[in-house]
Amino acid sequence: MVSENDLKNIIAQVLNEMNLSGGSDQRPSEEIKTNSESAPPNEETTKGKFVPDPSKNVVEDGCWDDVAAVSLQKQYLVENPVNGEAFYDLKQFAPCRLGIGKAGARYKTDPQLQFRAAHSAAQDAVFSDVDQDFVDNMGLFTVQTMCDSKDTYLTRPDLGRKLSEEAVATIKEKCKMNPTVQIYVSDGLSSAAIAANVGDVLPALEQGLKSYGIDYGTPFFVKYGRVGVEDQISEITKCDVVCVLIGERPGLITATSMSAYIAYKATVGMPEARRTVLSNIHKEGTNPAEAGAHIADIIKKILDNKASGTDLKL
Amino acid sequence: MQETILSAGIDIGTSTTQLIFSRITIENLASSYNVPRVSIIDKEVIYRSNIYFTPLKSQREIDSEKVAGIIIDEYKRAGISPSDLKTGAVIITGETARKENADVVLSSLSNMAGDFVVATAGPDLESVLSAKGAGADVLSEENREVVANVDIGGGTSNIAFFYKGILKGVCCLDIGGRLIKIENNKISYIFPSIKELANNHGISINVGDRADEAVLSKVCDLMADQLAMALHFSKPDDFHRKLYTNDGKPLPDEPKIQAITYSGGVADCIYSPENKETFMYGDIGVLLGRAVKRHSVLSNLKTYVAKETIRATVVGAGSHTTNVSGSTISYDRKKLPIKNIPVLKVGRDEEMNAGAFEKAITSKIELYKPEGELEQVAIAFSGEFHTGFKEIQELADILIKAGDEIIKGAYPLIVLVENDIAKALGNALNVKLERKKEVICIDCIYASDGDYIDIGEPLSEGRVVPVVTKTLIFNR
Repeated sequence: MVSENDLKNIIAQVLNEMNLSGGSDQRPSEEIKTNSESAPPNEETTKGKFVPDPSKNVVEDGCWDDVAAVSLQKQYLVENPVNGEAFYDLKQFAPCRLGIGKAGARYKTDPQLQFRAAHSAAQDAVFSDVDQDFVDNMGLFTVQTMCDSKDTYLTRPDLGRKLSEEAVATIKEKCKMNPTVQIYVSDGLSSAAIAANVGDVLPALEQGLKSYGIDYGTPFFVKYGRVGVEDQISEITKCDVVCVLIGERPGLITATSMSAYIAYKATVGMPEARRTVLSNIHKEGTNPAEAGAHIADIIKKILDNKASGTDLKL
Repeated sequence: MQETILSAGIDIGTSTTQLIFSRITIENLASSYNVPRVSIIDKEVIYRSNIYFTPLKSQREIDSEKVAGIIIDEYKRAGISPSDLKTGAVIITGETARKENADVVLSSLSNMAGDFVVATAGPDLESVLSAKGAGADVLSEENREVVANVDIGGGTSNIAFFYKGILKGVCCLDIGGRLIKIENNKISYIFPSIKELANNHGISINVGDRADEAVLSKVCDLMADQLAMALHFSKPDDFHRKLYTNDGKPLPDEPKIQAITYSGGVADCIYSPENKETFMYGDIGVLLGRAVKRHSVLSNLKTYVAKETIRATVVGAGSHTTNVSGSTISYDRKKLPIKNIPVLKVGRDEEMNAGAFEKAITSKIELYKPEGELEQVAIAFSGEFHTGFKEIQELADILIKAGDEIIKGAYPLIVLVENDIAKALGNALNVKLERKKEVICIDCIYASDGDYIDIGEPLSEGRVVPVVTKTLIFNR
């Protein structure tokens, strides 16, 4: 059983830790003092718990380094490792949260902040819109699916696979019909991926097609788009091959990874297996410009074989 | 999906000629939704020839017809026809490593060694190839150690050392098992530097002397001392410097060597000295092996068993000279394979500035006109400073401007990049040149000034090309 006095002490400590005791923090600290008399000097513990002493708090100038700028592969925080160098070498093979040390049973402060920063970046990538200026500067016109907002987009995947009536009309009006290849860009689940990669992937892809002598249609941007909308776009433009550059669902390693989904003679309702995908296009993954050149290569193979997805062995 | 290619290695040395066939397995290690990543996943020696004394017309001239005869016999014995081979290397090492020899060997082997290279290997390349054949690079990578391979042959000891699998330095000394030869229990030949080494330590040996095991053992102890000095385990004496072949340089003294492998003919006498008669080979090879094995410093070192001993160099030539390019590249199929292309390297500092980049190419290109006309040349650089689409266009413009002479010439424009941008760069070059010039643009290839490269026929459904980089000059 906990005695009444003990209980008081615990509450006082908790209040102190939460800094909710306001101006009346004199009393709890007195309580602590009486309690700590039995503890050895210089020990700031009461019954095994750490009790901060506000009088010892120091406010420092300066700031924490940008946690998002730390390279996961370069940071190795284990104290007293058996062979830290070997572990560090292993870390160079993949950007994983390994060898980041611990504070008791928890993360150290720096990795904890990095983790939360990565999570925030992932959320931002999903919830924010692609900067309209960026889309305009890329020379892309914008159409929208049947989603009227991010919320609808996230909760109604079916609506993200259909173009609005206005979008259908705009595409019919602005796009060259019957192109061999129709390329378009879509936000998908990461707007950050579009901003980070399209500037390199799209021109490299167009240049690659040009070097093969393959003609392509008018590229544009689809807001609130899911992969499946490419089937409708394929039907509208009557292209042989449709290719969407779309933001991937972000993870905690990168929020800027982009994919290309490519299909030969796509039709609404066709099996998903008919799509060929190239994923992991980002700075730390496949170099975006090189990826663009490679997509042109894939498209050439799709055209040569008149097949895509599992029907085509790459 | 795995694909195997057959590779041949032929080593024509001063004393012996050997041949091996190896099977190199390549596989695309990336999943189907990623950019392909074709890598060499296995190298296996599937045939080892007998070891022949190299047929010589004179001390410096190879009897190429007899060499061809040996090779034809070994092809037959192995049941392999030249058309089965996709890659490989013929190297001519030691004193016979001269261009004239390479030319005659090339012409007499051209039907058999068709699409692969004939190179004269300087001592530096030989050091690297033997160390790779011995497996020192792999041991160093797997154990995260500094591992040196000492290839003790007849005439020279070739040393190469690696840290974490990366080459850190090479050297070559005139220390070998056949530097003193014995006939009818008498000394029949002494290499001058070895005689001097012995004399310096008060040991007098002369051609015609009785082969005294005790005396020759002492000479071999002195040679082992010199190896310990070369590996920086003991302080070099005044004479040490004179033992480097062709006035070569010693090894760098950092990083410190932690473990050793031995290869070359003498290595067998180090690893298994028992059951060997002292003068069974008519030389001091067995004695030298024993001397290394009992040497006070060398015997205390961590020593690994080499994967290959006497065949280390030829296995190195057959299995470890071929690499594969990156998997997203650009090339003109009609122009492959190409052989013996000298490399023009643009330094990292020059790469960062367009003007310096152009100047580096235009000024160095003059070096590739031995008879006033431009030879084939490959332009190599890191490609780390031009990764975005726009920068790659700039890069293509620089190359087109600076490579004007190449573009107007008869040979293709060959570009070697370290960073994975070759497909995008190749496309940019092709579009800007309106496909009027053959372009070969490949990546994941590391080459330096003075290297020569061969680019073979495409593999893995055209995704990669095999590349042999021949580093002929290492110490500079």
